[in-house]
Amino acid sequence: MTDTHAHPAAAPPVIDVQGLRKEFGKFVALHDINLTIPRASVGLLGANGAGKSTLIKSLLGLIKPTSGKATVVGYDTQTQGTRVREHVGYMPEADALPMATTAADFVAHMAEMSGLPARAARQRAADVLYQVGLAEERYRLIKGFSTGMKQRVKLAQSIVHDPELVFLDEPTAGLDPKGREEMLELVERIYQHLGIAVVFSSHILEDIELVCDYVVILDGGRLAASQPLGGIGDVLGQVTLRVDGDQDAFAGKLSAFGIPVETTENASGALELAVTASDERVFDLIRDVAVSQDIAIRSLRSRSRSLEDIYLSTVGATREAENGD
Amino acid sequence: MAISPPVNQQPPDRYGEVFDRGYQHYDGKRLGRPQAVKSLIIYSMKRAMGIRKSWTAKVLPFLLYISAIVPLIVMIGISAIVPQMEFASYTDYFSGIMLIVGIFVATIAPEMLCVDRREKTLPLYFARAISRFDYVFAKLAATAILTMTISVVPAVLLWLGRQLVSDSPWSAMKDNIGDLGKVIVAGALIALVLGTLGLAVSSVTSRKGVAVTIIILAFIILTSITATIFEIVDADWKRYFIFLSLFDVFDAFIRQYMNTPNIPTLVQEADFSTLTYFLYMVGLVIAGVLFVRWRYAPRDEA
Repeated sequence: MTDTHAHPAAAPPVIDVQGLRKEFGKFVALHDINLTIPRASVGLLGANGAGKSTLIKSLLGLIKPTSGKATVVGYDTQTQGTRVREHVGYMPEADALPMATTAADFVAHMAEMSGLPARAARQRAADVLYQVGLAEERYRLIKGFSTGMKQRVKLAQSIVHDPELVFLDEPTAGLDPKGREEMLELVERIYQHLGIAVVFSSHILEDIELVCDYVVILDGGRLAASQPLGGIGDVLGQVTLRVDGDQDAFAGKLSAFGIPVETTENASGALELAVTASDERVFDLIRDVAVSQDIAIRSLRSRSRSLEDIYLSTVGATREAENGD
Repeated sequence: MAISPPVNQQPPDRYGEVFDRGYQHYDGKRLGRPQAVKSLIIYSMKRAMGIRKSWTAKVLPFLLYISAIVPLIVMIGISAIVPQMEFASYTDYFSGIMLIVGIFVATIAPEMLCVDRREKTLPLYFARAISRFDYVFAKLAATAILTMTISVVPAVLLWLGRQLVSDSPWSAMKDNIGDLGKVIVAGALIALVLGTLGLAVSSVTSRKGVAVTIIILAFIILTSITATIFEIVDADWKRYFIFLSLFDVFDAFIRQYMNTPNIPTLVQEADFSTLTYFLYMVGLVIAGVLFVRWRYAPRDEA
């Protein structure tokens, strides 16, 4: 398991969907979806009602598809539903926590519900709550928790059994800007540092752009796109950079090397640097300047083809195709 | 438990305070579905008894245990000191604790099902290594086991007490071993019938208070209706109304099953065989289980 975490590119797909169709009466929630998702941090993007939740429930083996089949972490969702769920985590969007119990008790119980022995479950619950930043609060009743803390408990229960894949359904819903940023950092770390593949459902483009390296776009129950998001160095041109530390000094230093830099503000109000990368050496220079100035690079991503561009072009294309039918 | 080395070997950065232990992958045993079901049974029993909850949640179950067990212990003690004093019969004892068992079920059954629905934790359970039927099975098992602790255990204590205060306890135990089997069967049947019906009621509402009220009122009102009909009606068909009152069905079954000489008038008038009462109770259990299972069957909801 650790091997596959260490070499994501070489790992087999975590999700393989073939001709998946789900009808609720006359309403078609999923239109014959064919999809292969690599072991990655995957954004599942779509407007409300696009079929995201139906797809997640199908992949968890909780609803029976009208036709087609799906394999998740190597198990068939219809015939091996409990096996799938033993190795997969799920964080629902809704508030779904018992109020009159402590975070430690509940998360340990959830680990046991995935098949872990009681003692290991208690130990892992304490560790994972520590990971999500609830070390001191874990023996307090959940009813006294803030929305952000409750989201962290939900996240902890979804990874406590060390799953191979975790489904996060709108994990930033209802959070204030600071809480949202912290949650996104945690989500990013689940894949980057913990090595657990992530499927992150959201209708917010920016959230997915920040933490995902692959995107699946659903529109009206149809698959609109399934593709990697532009990584560092994939596309030259404008890159967006977020750093911690003296941002102005950092920008000044880069400018001194003749690299065009602009300071911009993103949707949640954080300052970012827009850097024009004319060739690959610019990335080396950014790294060297960061090291010399003791600055931490928070994120670096291509602006050349943003997720918004992908979304607009693919969703537009599927709608045109639909209208043409 | 074997733990693989942490994946994150990097030194903690300024955001890494919460991660500086490193994440450890779990390579220990995964016991799957049986462990999940066992955990759900134990967790449900603990929650229903108020264990690891505030003291207010523990009060009612504790009082009910006291009211079922303490008088028994006192009676055994008195009999030991004053041997000529007559012990309460098994049937009298069961009649005496029937209402306590009913209130006990009304306390724990809603805690088993209503809370998970009200707090919307069901999606978390169904996303784990269990099926929907496993969930229902675990809740039924937890309810039945807990109810037996108040219906079977005191009855077994009564049996034990009766043997221990006799002149020759060992031979008394051997002679009366059949009675032990009968009190266990009777106590278990009461637990199963009340437990499954309590869960069936709890499966239709997510409000605990509503479920508690329905269970207690049903128990009292149906018993009253039966008593009234037997009182005022003078026709043969009234005998079937005994099946409305669980209290009277239990009483009739236990008295006939244990060959008690004093049979109440109502039971005499009803005049059904022990087997009929037994099959009726088994039927109620099966109907209750099927109903709860149907309530928790997967439904196509977008």
